[in-house]
Amino acid sequence: MDHKDLGENEMQDFEIKLRQAMQRQEAPLGLKQRVLARARERRRAERRPWWRVHFAQRIAASLVLAAVCGGVAMYRQQMEERRKGEEARDQVLTALRITGRTLDRVNEKLADDDK
Amino acid sequence: MSWQPDFEELVDEHQSMVFSMAWRITGDRGLAEEIAQDVLLELDRHLPRLGSANHARYWLRQVTLHRSTDALRRKRTKAASLGTDVWEELEERHGLVEMDRESPLAVRMEQLLAALPEAQRAAIVLRYQEDMSPDEIAVMMRAPVATVKSNLQRGLKLLRARAEQTLKEFVR
Repeated sequence: MDHKDLGENEMQDFEIKLRQAMQRQEAPLGLKQRVLARARERRRAERRPWWRVHFAQRIAASLVLAAVCGGVAMYRQQMEERRKGEEARDQVLTALRITGRTLDRVNEKLADDDK
Repeated sequence: MSWQPDFEELVDEHQSMVFSMAWRITGDRGLAEEIAQDVLLELDRHLPRLGSANHARYWLRQVTLHRSTDALRRKRTKAASLGTDVWEELEERHGLVEMDRESPLAVRMEQLLAALPEAQRAAIVLRYQEDMSPDEIAVMMRAPVATVKSNLQRGLKLLRARAEQTLKEFVR
């Protein structure tokens, strides 16, 4: 057997050992569970129809709109009540002014009569 | 009858293959675990486009190979920019990894593979772990068959030389 054959034989022996040494290693514990969990999550997210995906956002938008409308209505009511209040006050003041002028006229008449 | 794959079964069947390939190419167990997770998740998305069990196996090997070699390149670039020697880092890391395999060669396998340039390392893993022929490796790596054979030959010589150096006490 010449040197070349020896070398080739040694290399073949090494290849056999290499093949044995390179058997697949076990995957880390829990890898499969993590992968399956993430895959389930992704599929659930993808399965949701577009209208459900935006449902929460639509609900939120509706609530905001309702709050704004309610707020506007309340503001208008308050403004109306204020206006009515001011009107009533003006009427009272007018009445008092009329009463005051009337009383002045009565006093003048009485004074004239005394003369 | 069309192929009706079950994703969980495929994960069971191939997770070790994907993880081992990634580990032996990158030399980093933690990184290999991340790559394996990403590749298997990608399988779930890609499943409708795969036509058979063989197609799935081929696809997994190819994607794992590309992700692992990309990760290895990024790691080397980062190590170079930090001024660290990636081989030293690998040696330190493997010193901490518990190995419970039988032969001394098996125990040191990832360390020995780390000595090889990327193309030789990938060819060796595909040949001796995945039992692929040089022609099949050439298609997967998109390289000429002659280049693959040359990488295998050089890789083997280098591995053997390094094994003899580092495993002196075990060499008969």
